[in-house]
Amino acid sequence: MDSQVQSVIINDASQDSAPILQVKHLKKSFGDLHVLKDISFDLNAGEVLSIIGPSGSGKSTLLRCLTQLETFEAGEVRVDGKDMVVPGSCIGGKIKYAPAKTLRDIRLSTGLVFQNFNLFPHLTVLQNLTLAPIRVLHDSREDARALARFLLKQMGLEGKEKSYPCELSGGQQQRVSIARALALKPRILFFDEPTSALDPELTGEVLKIIKKLAEDRMTMVIVTHEMAFARDVANKVMFMDQGVVVEQGTPDFVFNRSQNKRLSAFLERFSRT
Amino acid sequence: MSDLNSLLPILWGGFCTTLAIFALTLLFSIPLGLLVAVLKMSRYRIVRYPVSFYISVMRGTPLLLQIVAIYFGSYYLSEYTGVEFSFDRFPAVIVAFSINYAAYFAEIFRGGIQSIPKGQYEAAAMLGLTRGQTFYRIILPQVVKRVVPASANEVITLVKDTSLAQVIAVTELFALAKKQQAAYASIYPLFVAGVFYYIANLLLSVLFAYVERKLNYYK
Repeated sequence: MDSQVQSVIINDASQDSAPILQVKHLKKSFGDLHVLKDISFDLNAGEVLSIIGPSGSGKSTLLRCLTQLETFEAGEVRVDGKDMVVPGSCIGGKIKYAPAKTLRDIRLSTGLVFQNFNLFPHLTVLQNLTLAPIRVLHDSREDARALARFLLKQMGLEGKEKSYPCELSGGQQQRVSIARALALKPRILFFDEPTSALDPELTGEVLKIIKKLAEDRMTMVIVTHEMAFARDVANKVMFMDQGVVVEQGTPDFVFNRSQNKRLSAFLERFSRT
Repeated sequence: MSDLNSLLPILWGGFCTTLAIFALTLLFSIPLGLLVAVLKMSRYRIVRYPVSFYISVMRGTPLLLQIVAIYFGSYYLSEYTGVEFSFDRFPAVIVAFSINYAAYFAEIFRGGIQSIPKGQYEAAAMLGLTRGQTFYRIILPQVVKRVVPASANEVITLVKDTSLAQVIAVTELFALAKKQQAAYASIYPLFVAGVFYYIANLLLSVLFAYVERKLNYYK
């Protein structure tokens, strides 16, 4: 394998016993609406977690809290050994976030792939990929371009570097956005329903890329409605409903052996449609 | 025909003043408008409210009155305060036009900025871009494309609005044409002035169409 892919997927902590992502008693509400009631889970480096559950169960909000696009009111989040919240600060009711420098470090170690891609429409594919490495990581233009080209090749998007996002299909755009997130070499990559905005015939090409990343031991958290995919790609599956983790475990346990009524009702609904 | 030969140089002189008002107004009002737009979106009421008041006064009263107010107002102000300060005619016109057009541009720019989807900010944040980088590299370039058509309207209106400068006896195109109307005892000079305005705006329309086409490289 090319030397660059090893630099994109960093897994030096895989022998380390501490999980790369730790969430403890996370709570989040919008006004009176408690969206996340008490979420706790761990994820080890190189593992893939699928989060499933009905709409409005808080899956996306959880992802947005972990990627700092939303704030939360209580709980602890530790990413790659760094605390997002000052430990023990949530005793007095409100939590205190870590200093800006720490939050920035955490942010740069997390990548997010959006449902609607959110590519920058005025920039070419290559510019979308090189902007942050050049401006944020201060990589040289040449290095940033070389990495971008390498990633585009991995995504099966050779020859598209001069295209604008509007010239690409939805599946291609989503693959560009995965490459854009990877260009910052994140430790954890989050996916917020990465195929929900795609035409059915285009979901396959995106899921294939994510599966390949899983094989390369990229640590990922994936919110998805693709049940077969959630089961196949993940080491761990978490079922959420109404702001709580109802069930979590291995794919085999969650999909085949769990006796939980809400989970089986949810899976039943899905297999019927 | 001999009429036209003597008329054209005179009107051309006025047209140059018109162009000067036009160009200087754009030069000052566009950056000022961008600043006002950003201030109006401030999260602090103490910033937002005065800016809203400024915009509402600029848009709610005649530009003609604003020109008079700036010119004579500065004169009266220096009388009262004893501070030696007043605008000459031409600078007064530039100030009045600039702050008036800035208010209109500000609303166009604000609309443009607010029309950029939230996802663009979120994607930029996830990539670690600072607020400044996000604004200048992600938001502003997209805003430019969105505000060109509405701004073209304002720019074309500005060409014609320059004729209001005559209210404080700045000898721009229309003022001179009116003087010639009296001299010739004919409305003919006014029509010629009209042709000047029309040609100027025709060129601007072509220019804006070109800019819009240039910016069409993405959707």
